[in-house]
Amino acid sequence: MLSKKTSNTIAGIAFLSPNIIGFLCFTTIPLVFSMVLAFSNWDLTLHNMFHDEAIKFVGLKNFIRLFQERDFWKFLGNTLFLMMGAPFAIAGSLIAAILLNKDLKGKKSGVFKIILPGAILFISCVMLTLVGMGAAALTILIVGAVGMTLISGILFGQTVYRTLFYLPNFTSGVAVYILWKKLYSPQTGPVNAVLDKPVSVVGNIVNATPSWVLLAGEWLCLLIGLFIMMKVLKSLFNHWKEGDIGSCGLVLALFFVMLPAFFAILWAPTAAMKLAVPAIAVVLLVFHLATDLKTRDFPCTIWHGVGSGFMIAMISLIPMFMFIGFAAAIAHLADITRQTDFSVLPPPEWLASYDWAKPAIMIMGLWMAIGSNNMLLYLAGLSNVPPELEEAADIDGASPFQKFWHVTWPQLAPITFFIVVMTVIGGLQGGFEMARTMTQGGPFGSTTTLSYFIYNEGFATGRLGYSSAISWVLFIMVFSITMINWKFGSKYVND
Amino acid sequence: MSMTENSKRDSVMNVSKGRTLKREIMGISLLHILLAGMSLLFMLPFLWMVLTSLKTLAEVGLPEWMPAAFQWKNYPEVFDVIPFAKFYWNSILIASWVTFLQVFTSSLAAFSFSRLNWPGRDKVFLMYLATMMLPGLVMMIPNYQIMISLGWVDSFVGLIVPASFSAFGTFMMRQFMMTIPTSLDEAAEIDGASKWQLYWDVILPLSKPGLITLTIFTFMGNYQSFFWPLVMLKSIDKYTLPVGLLFFDSTRGQTTHLLMAGVTMSVLPMVIVFIIMQKQMVKGIQLGAVKG
Repeated sequence: MLSKKTSNTIAGIAFLSPNIIGFLCFTTIPLVFSMVLAFSNWDLTLHNMFHDEAIKFVGLKNFIRLFQERDFWKFLGNTLFLMMGAPFAIAGSLIAAILLNKDLKGKKSGVFKIILPGAILFISCVMLTLVGMGAAALTILIVGAVGMTLISGILFGQTVYRTLFYLPNFTSGVAVYILWKKLYSPQTGPVNAVLDKPVSVVGNIVNATPSWVLLAGEWLCLLIGLFIMMKVLKSLFNHWKEGDIGSCGLVLALFFVMLPAFFAILWAPTAAMKLAVPAIAVVLLVFHLATDLKTRDFPCTIWHGVGSGFMIAMISLIPMFMFIGFAAAIAHLADITRQTDFSVLPPPEWLASYDWAKPAIMIMGLWMAIGSNNMLLYLAGLSNVPPELEEAADIDGASPFQKFWHVTWPQLAPITFFIVVMTVIGGLQGGFEMARTMTQGGPFGSTTTLSYFIYNEGFATGRLGYSSAISWVLFIMVFSITMINWKFGSKYVND
Repeated sequence: MSMTENSKRDSVMNVSKGRTLKREIMGISLLHILLAGMSLLFMLPFLWMVLTSLKTLAEVGLPEWMPAAFQWKNYPEVFDVIPFAKFYWNSILIASWVTFLQVFTSSLAAFSFSRLNWPGRDKVFLMYLATMMLPGLVMMIPNYQIMISLGWVDSFVGLIVPASFSAFGTFMMRQFMMTIPTSLDEAAEIDGASKWQLYWDVILPLSKPGLITLTIFTFMGNYQSFFWPLVMLKSIDKYTLPVGLLFFDSTRGQTTHLLMAGVTMSVLPMVIVFIIMQKQMVKGIQLGAVKG
């Protein structure tokens, strides 16, 4: 007779065995195999049935070659560039969740329930009879769709809107990418058909404005960006002084806050700006380092508040990048209108153009990512905010914005941290499906991300060893972010 | 005196109540209009998709969204141009097999992790969790070499078997089984039930909501899966829907109306499944992430 403990162990392993065998075959062994490959020169053009060379181990050669390859840095840059859409998507998810979190059923007034949908139905019916079929049928179709959404929204509450918001995310895949490829088609796609008029209007305005006004506008945008940076630096150092953020958190946050200054070097339209913006940023930083770093009122451990620092940096990145982007956009528009002889500004070529392919993918990503799992997580988080806290804020006479900033947002901080980490991990590995279905990684590699690079090297070019080495570099990046999450995710929750 | 004051206050309060009610209704109507507008923004690409799928080829390039007449015959035509029915069937077949196997192996492992006490159990579980963070790309090249040596390239087995083991599924089922009270195990043990009976007759029926959620997720995930089928499948009659659509786009991309009909047909099942099952799915997403 077996003891209870042994029988438990046998049963435990028996129940686990189907899963663990598969796990060994398709995860563990490949993982080890891949690591070995990363140090080998296995290349299908060198080692195949016609040309059989022995596979050699080449040590770190693959990695050295990788870091020396310009393309690798370019593709890494592409991956990071595409990830810059993520803060906007997360903010969008949060706004959508806040809007959906209201009690939308309007129980209090039965009259309201009938009047509004009735009015919409009435209006669409009138329009239908007045305008008839033909081109205007689209208007009626859209009005009818909105009307139906409203009616069902009023009758069934947030579920209706939540479903509609979530659908782009749920259906995202090859089919939807092909759809967007057609939407973006420069000549026949509806995106440009819609944009044609506004773009030419903007072009005319830019043409009509004197160039010194444009230049002033560019400077103004950059200065606003720098002003935000100043404010953020001040608040970061204040937090550091008060012991809310430890030294490591400060350094991490400073790195992210200074990032726009680096991008300004790349994007700023004139040479003066390329110099001035980073210079002012560095001066601001040095000024704070010199004046604020001496005293510390409340000491704390150096690892304290890394999450908070990270969050502050992330939030401030959104407006800073927006204003730098505005400045670059104004300069670009002025350039294009000056160079081309067209009296009308042509709309962008989207996926076919080197500069617009990435923004095009980011816009599509925004469409897919607002109503994503993140929105659902925020919804769950919002419903967990204790109502007493909000009531207390109401009694204190807090404005809705104050209430959000001081009551709701801190409660959502752990979820936000989780979402940011997951988004970064996903973003590093992402972009393959879009690149494969929409652009083939082009034009000129402008939409090739690391994942597409790995696929290309491994399955198209056949350099298996090299491809494995790239995938291990990716793995190390993902792994270090996971480590940050494990180390600080739980601490951040307790802050 | 006090009476009049009271009634005065009451009337004042009533007025302000009426005002706040009015404001509330105003606010809610505005919110509804805003939300409906946003919904429209999310739905417009789909609207264009459906309308384009009903156009003639000549109408495709025109800026008007509406076709002169709805060309419903585009839909059957898709099945003539490419083996669309075959793609559908392949996708559903593969996704069903993967779902069945994955739910089965996951629930077995989850049972072991949540109901049985064996030494080193939690360490092994932690290892499982860690593998969820592994980028799948790292394993792709070796896995493909394994498929070559097994002779599974361009076969359904090669698509089904590697996908049948999931750390995520195990994790999700374990989270769910942890919520089932352990007193049931003890009762079953006193009745002389074996571990298998405990799993099959007690825990599995009680985990039904979790099983349903996992089933939907796995099925939908595999219905959409792209990378592995793209790499593995060589012959057209074995293509799944995503690979098939890509093939359609690259060979006959000019026939936008037919392509959009194909896209519509591959999106539609997902929309239907989501609308029917959304309650379970939303709960599953929130449970999986919040507790993780």
